[in-house]
Amino acid sequence: MNRRKLLSLLGMSPALLAGSRAEAQKTRTGKSAAPEEPKYQALNPKGTPPPVKLVPMAPRLDTIHGKTVYLVDTGFMGGGTLLQQMQAWFNQNMPDVTVVFRKKAGPYMEDDPPLWKEIKEKGNAAIMAIGH
Amino acid sequence: MATRAFADLAKSNASKRGMPHIRAAFTPHPVWGKTAEQLRAYIDGNDPVSGKPLMKEIIDGLTVPLTAEDTKTGMMDVSVGPPVYGPDTLDNLQKHFLNNGMTDFLPVIIPTQEKVDAMLKGTSHKPDEVVGKMAAGAFAPWTYTVRQVAVNAVMAGCEPEYFPIVLAIASTGMAALGSSTTSFAYSMVINGPIRDQLNMNYGIGAMGPFAQPNATIGRAWTLLGKNLGNGGIAGDTYMGSQGNNTNYNNIVIAENEKESPWTPFHVQKGFKPEENVVSLFAGEDIRQGHGARGAGVLENPMFDDQISDMFRTLTSQFNALVICDPLTVKRLVEQGYDTKEKLMDWLWQNTKRTAKEYRDSAFVYTFHKPLAQRGIEPYATWYNCPEDTLIPWWPKPDDIALVVTGGQTNPFFQVGNLNYRVSVSIDKWM
Repeated sequence: MNRRKLLSLLGMSPALLAGSRAEAQKTRTGKSAAPEEPKYQALNPKGTPPPVKLVPMAPRLDTIHGKTVYLVDTGFMGGGTLLQQMQAWFNQNMPDVTVVFRKKAGPYMEDDPPLWKEIKEKGNAAIMAIGH
Repeated sequence: MATRAFADLAKSNASKRGMPHIRAAFTPHPVWGKTAEQLRAYIDGNDPVSGKPLMKEIIDGLTVPLTAEDTKTGMMDVSVGPPVYGPDTLDNLQKHFLNNGMTDFLPVIIPTQEKVDAMLKGTSHKPDEVVGKMAAGAFAPWTYTVRQVAVNAVMAGCEPEYFPIVLAIASTGMAALGSSTTSFAYSMVINGPIRDQLNMNYGIGAMGPFAQPNATIGRAWTLLGKNLGNGGIAGDTYMGSQGNNTNYNNIVIAENEKESPWTPFHVQKGFKPEENVVSLFAGEDIRQGHGARGAGVLENPMFDDQISDMFRTLTSQFNALVICDPLTVKRLVEQGYDTKEKLMDWLWQNTKRTAKEYRDSAFVYTFHKPLAQRGIEPYATWYNCPEDTLIPWWPKPDDIALVVTGGQTNPFFQVGNLNYRVSVSIDKWM
Protein backbone atom coordinates (compact mmCIF):
# COMPACT_ATOMS: atom_id res chain seq x y z
CA MET A 1 0.00 0.00 0.00
CA ASN A 2 1.44 3.40 -0.94
CA ARG A 3 1.81 6.22 1.54
CA ARG A 4 -1.04 8.29 0.09
CA LYS A 5 -3.54 5.44 0.44
CA LEU A 6 -2.31 4.64 3.96
CA LEU A 7 -2.79 8.26 5.06
CA SER A 8 -6.28 8.28 3.56
CA LEU A 9 -7.21 5.19 5.50
CA LEU A 10 -5.92 6.79 8.68
CA GLY A 11 -8.14 9.79 7.99
CA MET A 12 -5.21 12.07 7.28
CA SER A 13 -4.99 14.36 4.30
CA PRO A 14 -2.57 13.30 1.59
CA ALA A 15 -1.62 16.98 1.52
CA LEU A 16 0.50 16.21 4.55
CA LEU A 17 2.84 14.46 2.21
CA ALA A 18 3.79 17.83 0.74
CA GLY A 19 4.03 19.34 4.21
CA SER A 20 6.43 16.70 5.40
CA ARG A 21 8.69 17.31 2.39
CA ALA A 22 8.78 21.02 3.10
CA GLU A 23 9.61 20.31 6.71
CA ALA A 24 12.52 18.13 5.66
CA GLN A 25 13.84 20.87 3.41
CA LYS A 26 13.63 23.39 6.25
CA THR A 27 15.68 21.06 8.46
CA ARG A 28 18.39 20.63 5.86
CA THR A 29 18.81 24.31 5.02
CA GLY A 30 18.03 25.74 8.43
CA LYS A 31 15.45 28.20 6.96
CA SER A 32 12.14 28.03 5.04
CA ALA A 33 12.41 28.02 1.25
CA ALA A 34 9.34 27.74 -0.97
CA PRO A 35 9.97 24.92 -3.44
CA GLU A 36 9.84 26.13 -7.00
CA GLU A 37 6.60 25.22 -8.70
CA PRO A 38 7.14 22.70 -11.48
CA LYS A 39 6.72 23.99 -15.02
CA TYR A 40 5.16 22.25 -17.99
CA GLN A 41 4.64 22.68 -21.68
CA ALA A 42 1.18 22.38 -23.16
CA LEU A 43 0.34 21.44 -26.72
CA ASN A 44 -1.69 23.88 -28.78
CA PRO A 45 -5.23 22.43 -29.13
CA LYS A 46 -6.11 24.35 -32.29
CA GLY A 47 -6.72 22.76 -35.66
CA THR A 48 -5.15 23.94 -38.89
CA PRO A 49 -6.95 26.71 -40.78
CA PRO A 50 -6.95 26.67 -44.56
CA PRO A 51 -4.74 29.14 -46.39
CA VAL A 52 -6.71 32.30 -47.11
CA LYS A 53 -6.10 34.17 -50.33
CA LEU A 54 -6.85 37.89 -50.33
CA VAL A 55 -9.72 38.72 -52.68
CA PRO A 56 -9.32 42.18 -54.22
CA MET A 57 -12.53 44.17 -53.99
CA ALA A 58 -14.55 44.76 -57.14
CA PRO A 59 -14.04 48.12 -58.87
CA ARG A 60 -16.33 50.85 -57.56
CA LEU A 61 -18.71 52.96 -59.61
CA ASP A 62 -17.92 56.64 -60.16
CA THR A 63 -21.59 57.33 -59.47
CA ILE A 64 -24.79 55.36 -59.12
CA HIS A 65 -26.83 57.99 -60.96
CA GLY A 66 -28.27 56.40 -64.08
CA LYS A 67 -27.12 52.96 -63.01
CA THR A 68 -28.99 49.72 -62.23
CA VAL A 69 -28.82 48.53 -58.62
CA TYR A 70 -30.08 45.09 -57.55
CA LEU A 71 -31.51 44.66 -54.06
CA VAL A 72 -31.23 41.01 -53.02
CA ASP A 73 -33.36 39.54 -50.25
CA THR A 74 -31.78 36.39 -48.79
CA GLY A 75 -35.04 35.21 -47.21
CA PHE A 76 -34.79 36.12 -43.56
CA MET A 77 -38.07 37.40 -42.18
CA GLY A 78 -38.46 41.14 -42.69
CA GLY A 79 -35.56 41.43 -45.14
CA GLY A 80 -37.86 41.77 -48.13
CA THR A 81 -39.91 44.54 -46.52
CA LEU A 82 -36.73 46.40 -45.56
CA LEU A 83 -35.42 46.29 -49.11
CA GLN A 84 -38.77 47.39 -50.53
CA GLN A 85 -38.50 50.44 -48.29
CA MET A 86 -35.01 51.02 -49.66
CA GLN A 87 -36.43 50.74 -53.16
CA ALA A 88 -39.00 53.40 -52.24
CA TRP A 89 -36.18 55.61 -50.91
CA PHE A 90 -34.32 55.36 -54.23
CA ASN A 91 -37.51 56.14 -56.15
CA GLN A 92 -38.03 59.28 -54.08
CA ASN A 93 -34.46 60.48 -53.68
CA MET A 94 -32.58 59.15 -56.72
CA PRO A 95 -35.23 58.48 -59.36
CA ASP A 96 -32.63 58.07 -62.09
CA VAL A 97 -31.36 54.89 -60.43
CA THR A 98 -33.03 51.74 -61.74
CA VAL A 99 -33.73 49.51 -58.78
CA VAL A 100 -34.43 45.79 -59.25
CA PHE A 101 -35.70 43.78 -56.28
CA ARG A 102 -34.96 40.05 -56.23
CA LYS A 103 -35.60 37.31 -53.71
CA LYS A 104 -32.71 34.85 -53.77
CA ALA A 105 -33.89 31.34 -54.68
CA GLY A 106 -34.11 28.64 -52.01
CA PRO A 107 -33.50 28.83 -48.27
CA TYR A 108 -30.89 31.35 -47.16
CA MET A 109 -27.98 28.87 -47.08
CA GLU A 110 -28.35 27.98 -50.76
CA ASP A 111 -26.32 29.58 -53.49
CA ASP A 112 -28.14 31.16 -56.45
CA PRO A 113 -25.70 31.25 -59.42
CA PRO A 114 -28.36 32.26 -62.01
CA LEU A 115 -29.13 35.39 -59.99
CA TRP A 116 -25.44 36.33 -59.67
CA LYS A 117 -25.11 35.84 -63.45
CA GLU A 118 -28.11 38.09 -64.08
CA ILE A 119 -26.71 40.80 -61.81
CA LYS A 120 -23.32 40.67 -63.56
CA GLU A 121 -24.98 40.95 -66.96
CA LYS A 122 -27.68 43.50 -66.25
CA GLY A 123 -26.70 45.31 -63.08
CA ASN A 124 -24.03 47.79 -62.06
CA ALA A 125 -24.18 47.17 -58.33
CA ALA A 126 -25.92 44.96 -55.78
CA ILE A 127 -26.95 45.39 -52.16
CA MET A 128 -27.69 42.24 -50.15
CA ALA A 129 -29.68 42.28 -46.93
CA ILE A 130 -28.71 39.51 -44.54
CA GLY A 131 -30.59 38.44 -41.40
CA HIS A 132 -32.96 39.00 -39.02
CA MET B 1 -26.07 45.16 -45.31
CA ALA B 2 -26.84 43.41 -42.04
CA THR B 3 -28.32 44.39 -38.69
CA ARG B 4 -26.03 45.73 -35.99
CA ALA B 5 -26.12 42.45 -34.07
CA PHE B 6 -24.04 40.93 -36.86
CA ALA B 7 -21.47 43.72 -37.25
CA ASP B 8 -18.53 41.76 -35.80
CA LEU B 9 -19.58 38.53 -37.50
CA ALA B 10 -19.93 40.20 -40.92
CA LYS B 11 -16.46 41.70 -40.72
CA SER B 12 -14.69 38.66 -39.30
CA ASN B 13 -16.38 36.17 -41.62
CA ALA B 14 -15.54 38.30 -44.67
CA SER B 15 -11.98 38.54 -43.40
CA LYS B 16 -11.72 34.74 -43.05
CA ARG B 17 -12.79 34.54 -46.69
CA GLY B 18 -10.05 36.90 -47.83
CA MET B 19 -12.02 40.17 -47.77
CA PRO B 20 -10.83 42.01 -44.64
CA HIS B 21 -11.84 45.41 -46.04
CA ILE B 22 -15.36 44.52 -47.12
CA ARG B 23 -17.73 47.48 -47.10
CA ALA B 24 -20.75 46.77 -44.98
CA ALA B 25 -23.54 48.94 -43.63
CA PHE B 26 -25.79 48.14 -40.69
CA THR B 27 -29.37 48.78 -39.67
CA PRO B 28 -30.72 48.67 -36.12
CA HIS B 29 -31.67 45.21 -34.89
CA PRO B 30 -33.99 43.39 -35.41
CA VAL B 31 -35.66 43.67 -38.79
CA TRP B 32 -38.21 40.90 -38.38
CA GLY B 33 -41.48 41.79 -36.68
CA LYS B 34 -41.18 45.45 -37.71
CA THR B 35 -43.74 47.28 -39.80
CA ALA B 36 -42.93 48.79 -43.18
CA GLU B 37 -43.04 52.23 -41.53
CA GLN B 38 -40.57 51.19 -38.86
CA LEU B 39 -38.25 49.75 -41.47
CA ARG B 40 -38.52 52.93 -43.51
CA ALA B 41 -37.28 54.75 -40.41
CA TYR B 42 -34.26 52.41 -40.43
CA ILE B 43 -33.58 53.40 -44.06
CA ASP B 44 -33.97 57.11 -43.31
CA GLY B 45 -31.90 56.87 -40.11
CA ASN B 46 -28.27 56.33 -39.24
CA ASP B 47 -26.12 53.25 -39.43
CA PRO B 48 -25.85 52.45 -35.70
CA VAL B 49 -22.27 51.22 -36.09
CA SER B 50 -20.74 54.15 -37.99
CA GLY B 51 -23.23 56.79 -36.82
CA LYS B 52 -23.54 58.05 -40.42
CA PRO B 53 -26.78 58.17 -42.47
CA LEU B 54 -27.45 54.61 -43.63
CA MET B 55 -28.12 55.40 -47.30
CA LYS B 56 -25.04 57.63 -47.52
CA GLU B 57 -23.02 54.78 -46.04
CA ILE B 58 -24.38 52.39 -48.68
CA ILE B 59 -23.87 54.74 -51.62
CA ASP B 60 -20.36 55.60 -50.40
CA GLY B 61 -19.64 51.87 -50.17
CA LEU B 62 -20.50 51.52 -53.84
CA THR B 63 -18.78 54.65 -55.11
CA VAL B 64 -15.84 55.76 -52.93
CA PRO B 65 -12.65 54.76 -54.76
CA LEU B 66 -10.79 51.70 -53.52
CA THR B 67 -7.57 52.06 -51.54
CA ALA B 68 -4.37 50.10 -52.13
CA GLU B 69 -5.31 47.88 -49.18
CA ASP B 70 -8.69 47.13 -50.79
CA THR B 71 -7.06 45.76 -53.92
CA LYS B 72 -4.19 43.92 -52.28
CA THR B 73 -3.57 40.32 -53.34
CA GLY B 74 -1.54 37.56 -51.72
CA MET B 75 -2.05 35.35 -48.71
CA MET B 76 -3.41 36.29 -45.29
CA ASP B 77 -1.76 35.34 -42.01
CA VAL B 78 -3.83 32.55 -40.49
CA SER B 79 -1.58 31.59 -37.58
CA VAL B 80 -3.22 29.87 -34.63
CA GLY B 81 -0.23 30.32 -32.32
CA PRO B 82 2.85 28.26 -31.51
CA PRO B 83 2.67 24.46 -31.42
CA VAL B 84 3.55 24.47 -27.72
CA TYR B 85 2.87 26.89 -24.83
CA GLY B 86 5.23 27.22 -21.88
CA PRO B 87 7.16 26.11 -19.99
CA ASP B 88 4.98 27.59 -17.28
CA THR B 89 3.14 26.57 -14.14
CA LEU B 90 -0.07 24.58 -14.45
CA ASP B 91 -2.02 27.53 -13.03
CA ASN B 92 -0.61 29.92 -15.61
CA LEU B 93 -1.21 27.50 -18.46
CA GLN B 94 -4.76 27.01 -17.22
CA LYS B 95 -5.28 30.79 -17.29
CA HIS B 96 -3.72 31.04 -20.72
CA PHE B 97 -6.07 28.41 -22.15
CA LEU B 98 -9.05 30.04 -20.44
CA ASN B 99 -8.20 33.59 -21.52
CA ASN B 100 -7.54 32.61 -25.12
CA GLY B 101 -10.87 30.95 -25.81
CA MET B 102 -9.56 27.38 -25.89
CA THR B 103 -11.83 25.97 -23.17
CA ASP B 104 -15.50 25.69 -22.26
CA PHE B 105 -14.70 28.00 -19.31
CA LEU B 106 -14.41 25.08 -16.95
CA PRO B 107 -10.91 23.99 -15.88
CA VAL B 108 -9.28 21.61 -18.33
CA ILE B 109 -6.59 18.97 -18.02
CA ILE B 110 -3.47 20.68 -19.34
CA PRO B 111 -2.41 18.75 -22.47
CA THR B 112 1.25 18.06 -21.73
CA GLN B 113 3.24 15.99 -24.17
CA GLU B 114 3.16 13.10 -21.71
CA LYS B 115 -0.63 13.12 -21.41
CA VAL B 116 -1.13 13.49 -25.15
CA ASP B 117 1.26 10.60 -25.79
CA ALA B 118 -0.75 8.48 -23.35
CA MET B 119 -3.98 9.42 -25.16
CA LEU B 120 -2.45 8.47 -28.50
CA LYS B 121 -1.95 4.93 -27.15
CA GLY B 122 -5.75 4.61 -27.26
CA THR B 123 -5.68 4.22 -31.05
CA SER B 124 -3.61 2.37 -33.62
CA HIS B 125 -3.78 5.34 -35.96
CA LYS B 126 -0.66 7.44 -36.51
CA PRO B 127 -0.54 10.82 -34.75
CA ASP B 128 -0.09 12.76 -37.99
CA GLU B 129 -2.96 11.09 -39.83
CA VAL B 130 -5.52 13.65 -40.96
CA VAL B 131 -8.87 12.81 -39.34
CA GLY B 132 -11.12 15.30 -41.09
CA LYS B 133 -12.33 18.85 -41.55
CA MET B 134 -14.68 20.79 -39.35
CA ALA B 135 -16.42 24.15 -39.44
CA ALA B 136 -18.53 25.22 -36.51
CA GLY B 137 -20.83 27.25 -38.75
CA ALA B 138 -20.76 28.80 -42.18
CA PHE B 139 -16.98 29.15 -42.28
CA ALA B 140 -14.12 27.62 -44.20
CA PRO B 141 -13.40 24.29 -42.44
CA TRP B 142 -10.19 23.61 -40.51
CA THR B 143 -8.33 20.31 -40.77
CA TYR B 144 -6.92 18.28 -37.90
CA THR B 145 -4.83 15.23 -37.17
CA VAL B 146 -5.13 12.37 -34.69
CA ARG B 147 -2.70 14.26 -32.42
CA GLN B 148 -4.77 17.46 -32.47
CA VAL B 149 -7.88 15.45 -31.56
CA ALA B 150 -5.89 13.80 -28.75
CA VAL B 151 -4.95 17.20 -27.29
CA ASN B 152 -8.63 18.08 -26.98
CA ALA B 153 -9.55 14.66 -25.58
CA VAL B 154 -6.94 15.16 -22.85
CA MET B 155 -8.32 18.62 -22.06
CA ALA B 156 -11.83 17.18 -21.70
CA GLY B 157 -10.67 14.59 -19.17
CA CYS B 158 -10.98 11.51 -21.39
CA GLU B 159 -9.07 8.33 -20.69
CA PRO B 160 -7.10 6.79 -23.59
CA GLU B 161 -9.62 3.97 -23.98
CA TYR B 162 -12.33 6.56 -24.76
CA PHE B 163 -10.22 8.01 -27.56
CA PRO B 164 -11.64 5.89 -30.45
CA ILE B 165 -15.09 7.35 -29.75
CA VAL B 166 -13.72 10.89 -29.81
CA LEU B 167 -11.88 10.15 -33.05
CA ALA B 168 -15.03 8.65 -34.59
CA ILE B 169 -16.93 11.84 -33.70
CA ALA B 170 -14.12 14.00 -35.09
CA SER B 171 -14.11 11.96 -38.32
CA THR B 172 -17.66 13.12 -39.09
CA GLY B 173 -16.56 16.74 -39.28
CA MET B 174 -19.70 17.64 -37.34
CA ALA B 175 -19.15 20.35 -34.74
CA ALA B 176 -21.19 20.48 -31.53
CA LEU B 177 -21.33 24.26 -31.76
CA GLY B 178 -23.11 26.20 -34.49
CA SER B 179 -22.90 29.79 -35.65
CA SER B 180 -26.65 30.38 -35.89
CA THR B 181 -28.65 32.79 -33.76
CA THR B 182 -30.55 29.67 -32.72
CA SER B 183 -28.91 28.13 -29.65
CA PHE B 184 -28.47 24.61 -31.00
CA ALA B 185 -28.15 21.44 -28.98
CA TYR B 186 -26.29 18.29 -29.98
CA SER B 187 -26.63 14.68 -29.02
CA MET B 188 -24.83 11.39 -29.52
CA VAL B 189 -26.08 7.83 -29.18
CA ILE B 190 -23.48 5.17 -28.45
CA ASN B 191 -24.13 1.51 -29.18
CA GLY B 192 -22.16 -1.70 -28.98
CA PRO B 193 -20.02 -3.57 -26.44
CA ILE B 194 -17.75 -0.57 -25.87
CA ARG B 195 -20.42 0.84 -23.55
CA ASP B 196 -19.71 -1.93 -21.07
CA GLN B 197 -15.98 -1.99 -21.70
CA LEU B 198 -15.80 1.68 -20.72
CA ASN B 199 -18.38 1.40 -17.92
CA MET B 200 -20.60 3.93 -19.62
CA ASN B 201 -23.73 4.74 -17.72
CA TYR B 202 -26.99 3.66 -19.34
CA GLY B 203 -28.75 2.90 -16.06
CA ILE B 204 -29.87 5.25 -13.30
CA GLY B 205 -29.10 8.85 -14.21
CA ALA B 206 -27.89 7.75 -17.66
CA MET B 207 -28.02 11.26 -19.12
CA GLY B 208 -26.70 13.01 -16.00
CA PRO B 209 -23.23 13.74 -14.63
CA PHE B 210 -22.64 10.32 -13.15
CA ALA B 211 -19.99 8.59 -15.25
CA GLN B 212 -16.61 9.70 -16.53
CA PRO B 213 -16.89 8.39 -20.11
CA ASN B 214 -20.37 9.88 -20.66
CA ALA B 215 -19.25 13.21 -19.20
CA THR B 216 -15.88 13.60 -20.85
CA ILE B 217 -16.62 12.19 -24.32
CA GLY B 218 -19.52 14.63 -24.55
CA ARG B 219 -17.32 17.47 -23.35
CA ALA B 220 -14.61 16.56 -25.85
CA TRP B 221 -17.09 17.05 -28.69
CA THR B 222 -17.63 20.67 -27.68
CA LEU B 223 -13.88 21.28 -27.38
CA LEU B 224 -13.40 19.79 -30.85
CA GLY B 225 -15.86 22.33 -32.24
CA LYS B 226 -14.10 25.13 -30.41
CA ASN B 227 -10.50 24.32 -31.17
CA LEU B 228 -10.58 22.22 -34.32
CA GLY B 229 -13.64 23.81 -35.95
CA ASN B 230 -12.90 27.41 -34.89
CA GLY B 231 -16.31 27.73 -33.23
CA GLY B 232 -17.75 28.93 -29.99
CA ILE B 233 -16.48 32.52 -29.98
CA ALA B 234 -19.53 34.46 -28.82
CA GLY B 235 -20.35 37.35 -31.15
CA ASP B 236 -17.98 36.02 -33.79
CA THR B 237 -18.33 32.33 -34.63
CA TYR B 238 -21.22 31.76 -32.18
CA MET B 239 -24.39 33.87 -32.33
CA GLY B 240 -26.93 31.80 -30.35
CA SER B 241 -29.01 34.44 -28.63
CA GLN B 242 -29.50 32.67 -25.29
CA GLY B 243 -26.95 29.88 -25.49
CA ASN B 244 -27.65 26.28 -24.62
CA ASN B 245 -26.59 24.68 -21.36
CA THR B 246 -26.30 21.27 -23.01
CA ASN B 247 -23.33 22.58 -24.98
CA TYR B 248 -21.08 21.95 -21.96
CA ASN B 249 -21.00 18.24 -22.66
CA ASN B 250 -23.94 17.62 -25.01
CA ILE B 251 -26.69 15.04 -24.66
CA VAL B 252 -24.80 11.76 -24.41
CA ILE B 253 -26.93 8.62 -24.63
CA ALA B 254 -25.44 5.16 -24.21
CA GLU B 255 -28.34 3.00 -25.31
CA ASN B 256 -29.51 0.48 -22.72
CA GLU B 257 -29.45 -2.46 -25.11
CA LYS B 258 -29.55 -4.96 -22.24
CA GLU B 259 -32.95 -3.85 -20.95
CA SER B 260 -34.49 -2.78 -24.24
CA PRO B 261 -36.72 -5.25 -26.06
CA TRP B 262 -36.35 -3.16 -29.20
CA THR B 263 -33.69 -3.24 -31.93
CA PRO B 264 -30.67 -1.13 -30.94
CA PHE B 265 -30.35 2.15 -32.79
CA HIS B 266 -27.13 1.25 -34.64
CA VAL B 267 -28.71 -1.98 -35.94
CA GLN B 268 -31.59 0.12 -37.29
CA LYS B 269 -28.92 2.01 -39.22
CA GLY B 270 -27.43 -1.12 -40.78
CA PHE B 271 -24.63 -2.01 -38.37
CA LYS B 272 -24.20 -5.39 -36.69
CA PRO B 273 -25.11 -5.73 -33.01
CA GLU B 274 -21.49 -6.44 -32.04
CA GLU B 275 -20.18 -3.30 -33.76
CA ASN B 276 -19.39 -0.15 -31.79
CA VAL B 277 -21.08 2.87 -33.31
CA VAL B 278 -21.68 6.50 -32.44
CA SER B 279 -24.66 8.31 -34.00
CA LEU B 280 -24.90 12.09 -33.98
CA PHE B 281 -27.89 14.41 -33.78
CA ALA B 282 -28.30 18.19 -33.97
CA GLY B 283 -31.24 20.44 -33.25
CA GLU B 284 -32.72 22.62 -30.61
CA ASP B 285 -33.30 21.09 -27.23
CA ILE B 286 -34.67 18.30 -25.09
CA ARG B 287 -37.63 18.10 -22.71
CA GLN B 288 -38.90 15.56 -20.23
CA GLY B 289 -42.20 13.66 -20.17
CA HIS B 290 -43.82 11.64 -17.42
CA GLY B 291 -44.67 8.42 -19.15
CA ALA B 292 -46.47 7.00 -16.13
CA ARG B 293 -49.93 7.98 -17.24
CA GLY B 294 -49.93 6.21 -20.55
CA ALA B 295 -47.19 3.70 -20.16
CA GLY B 296 -47.30 2.67 -16.54
CA VAL B 297 -50.55 3.26 -14.69
CA LEU B 298 -53.66 3.67 -16.79
CA GLU B 299 -54.90 1.20 -19.30
CA ASN B 300 -54.64 3.80 -22.02
CA PRO B 301 -53.00 1.74 -24.74
CA MET B 302 -51.36 4.69 -26.38
CA PHE B 303 -48.26 6.65 -25.56
CA ASP B 304 -50.86 9.13 -24.38
CA ASP B 305 -51.58 12.66 -25.33
CA GLN B 306 -48.67 14.09 -23.36
CA ILE B 307 -46.19 13.15 -26.04
CA SER B 308 -48.52 14.65 -28.65
CA ASP B 309 -48.57 17.86 -26.64
CA MET B 310 -44.79 17.79 -26.44
CA PHE B 311 -44.54 17.31 -30.17
CA ARG B 312 -46.66 20.41 -30.63
CA THR B 313 -43.85 22.47 -29.08
CA LEU B 314 -41.26 21.18 -31.55
CA THR B 315 -40.26 23.05 -34.68
CA SER B 316 -40.49 21.41 -38.07
CA GLN B 317 -36.97 22.49 -38.87
CA PHE B 318 -35.72 19.54 -36.83
CA ASN B 319 -37.01 16.03 -36.33
CA ALA B 320 -37.67 14.20 -33.08
CA LEU B 321 -35.42 12.05 -30.94
CA VAL B 322 -37.57 10.21 -28.39
CA ILE B 323 -35.56 8.73 -25.52
CA CYS B 324 -37.50 6.15 -23.51
CA ASP B 325 -36.65 4.60 -20.18
CA PRO B 326 -36.67 0.78 -20.50
CA LEU B 327 -39.63 0.70 -18.09
CA THR B 328 -41.66 2.80 -20.52
CA VAL B 329 -40.63 0.59 -23.41
CA LYS B 330 -41.59 -2.63 -21.62
CA ARG B 331 -45.05 -1.23 -20.95
CA LEU B 332 -45.36 -0.13 -24.57
CA VAL B 333 -44.37 -3.61 -25.75
CA GLU B 334 -47.13 -5.08 -23.57
CA GLN B 335 -49.50 -2.71 -25.35
CA GLY B 336 -48.48 -4.01 -28.75
CA TYR B 337 -45.60 -1.74 -29.72
CA ASP B 338 -43.09 -4.55 -29.96
CA THR B 339 -40.92 -2.74 -32.52
CA LYS B 340 -39.62 0.79 -32.69
CA GLU B 341 -41.20 1.10 -36.13
CA LYS B 342 -44.71 0.51 -34.79
CA LEU B 343 -44.34 3.29 -32.25
CA MET B 344 -42.66 5.61 -34.76
CA ASP B 345 -45.60 5.08 -37.10
CA TRP B 346 -48.13 5.74 -34.33
CA LEU B 347 -46.36 8.91 -33.26
CA TRP B 348 -46.18 10.12 -36.84
CA GLN B 349 -49.88 9.42 -37.44
CA ASN B 350 -51.10 10.94 -34.18
CA THR B 351 -49.10 14.13 -33.85
CA LYS B 352 -50.58 16.34 -36.52
CA ARG B 353 -51.40 20.04 -36.75
CA THR B 354 -53.37 22.13 -39.17
CA ALA B 355 -51.82 23.43 -42.36
CA LYS B 356 -52.41 26.95 -41.05
CA GLU B 357 -50.38 26.28 -37.90
CA TYR B 358 -47.65 24.79 -40.06
CA ARG B 359 -47.52 27.75 -42.43
CA ASP B 360 -47.48 30.29 -39.61
CA SER B 361 -44.16 28.97 -38.29
CA ALA B 362 -41.18 31.26 -38.84
CA PHE B 363 -38.93 28.28 -39.50
CA VAL B 364 -41.33 26.90 -42.08
CA TYR B 365 -41.44 30.32 -43.76
CA THR B 366 -37.66 30.46 -43.91
CA PHE B 367 -36.83 26.86 -44.79
CA HIS B 368 -39.85 25.05 -46.26
CA LYS B 369 -41.63 27.79 -48.18
CA PRO B 370 -38.78 28.19 -50.72
CA LEU B 371 -38.87 24.40 -51.24
CA ALA B 372 -42.66 24.45 -51.64
CA GLN B 373 -42.32 27.23 -54.22
CA ARG B 374 -40.04 24.93 -56.23
CA GLY B 375 -42.69 22.20 -56.12
CA ILE B 376 -40.73 19.91 -53.80
CA GLU B 377 -43.00 17.45 -51.96
CA PRO B 378 -44.48 17.17 -49.43
CA TYR B 379 -43.92 20.88 -48.80
CA ALA B 380 -45.72 21.98 -51.99
CA THR B 381 -48.84 20.02 -50.96
CA TRP B 382 -48.63 21.25 -47.37
CA TYR B 383 -48.50 24.83 -48.62
CA ASN B 384 -51.40 24.49 -51.04
CA CYS B 385 -53.91 22.37 -49.11
CA PRO B 386 -56.89 23.94 -47.21
CA GLU B 387 -55.91 25.63 -43.95
CA ASP B 388 -57.71 23.13 -41.72
CA THR B 389 -56.08 20.07 -43.30
CA LEU B 390 -54.24 18.00 -40.71
CA ILE B 391 -50.65 17.36 -41.70
CA PRO B 392 -47.94 15.39 -39.92
CA TRP B 393 -45.06 17.08 -38.18
CA TRP B 394 -42.47 15.57 -40.53
CA PRO B 395 -42.55 14.02 -44.00
CA LYS B 396 -42.16 10.37 -42.89
CA PRO B 397 -42.31 8.16 -39.77
CA ASP B 398 -38.58 7.53 -39.61
CA ASP B 399 -38.00 11.23 -39.11
CA ILE B 400 -38.74 10.20 -35.52
CA ALA B 401 -35.80 8.40 -33.90
CA LEU B 402 -36.29 6.19 -30.85
CA VAL B 403 -33.59 5.17 -28.38
CA VAL B 404 -33.68 3.58 -24.94
CA THR B 405 -31.74 4.53 -21.85
CA GLY B 406 -32.31 4.82 -18.13
CA GLY B 407 -32.43 2.94 -14.87
CA GLN B 408 -36.10 1.88 -14.68
CA THR B 409 -36.91 3.78 -11.50
CA ASN B 410 -39.88 5.44 -13.24
CA PRO B 411 -41.38 5.13 -16.73
CA PHE B 412 -40.19 8.45 -18.09
CA PHE B 413 -39.29 9.60 -21.54
CA GLN B 414 -37.60 12.62 -23.03
CA VAL B 415 -38.14 14.25 -26.39
CA GLY B 416 -35.46 16.11 -28.27
CA ASN B 417 -36.12 18.38 -31.23
CA LEU B 418 -33.09 16.83 -32.86
CA ASN B 419 -32.20 15.67 -36.36
CA TYR B 420 -30.41 12.42 -36.92
CA ARG B 421 -27.30 13.19 -38.93
CA VAL B 422 -24.90 10.26 -39.16
CA SER B 423 -23.72 6.97 -37.63
CA VAL B 424 -20.02 6.06 -37.76
CA SER B 425 -17.92 3.11 -36.68
CA ILE B 426 -15.92 3.45 -33.48
CA ASP B 427 -14.05 0.20 -34.18
CA LYS B 428 -12.38 1.80 -37.18
CA TRP B 429 -10.57 4.15 -34.80
CA MET B 430 -9.34 1.56 -32.30
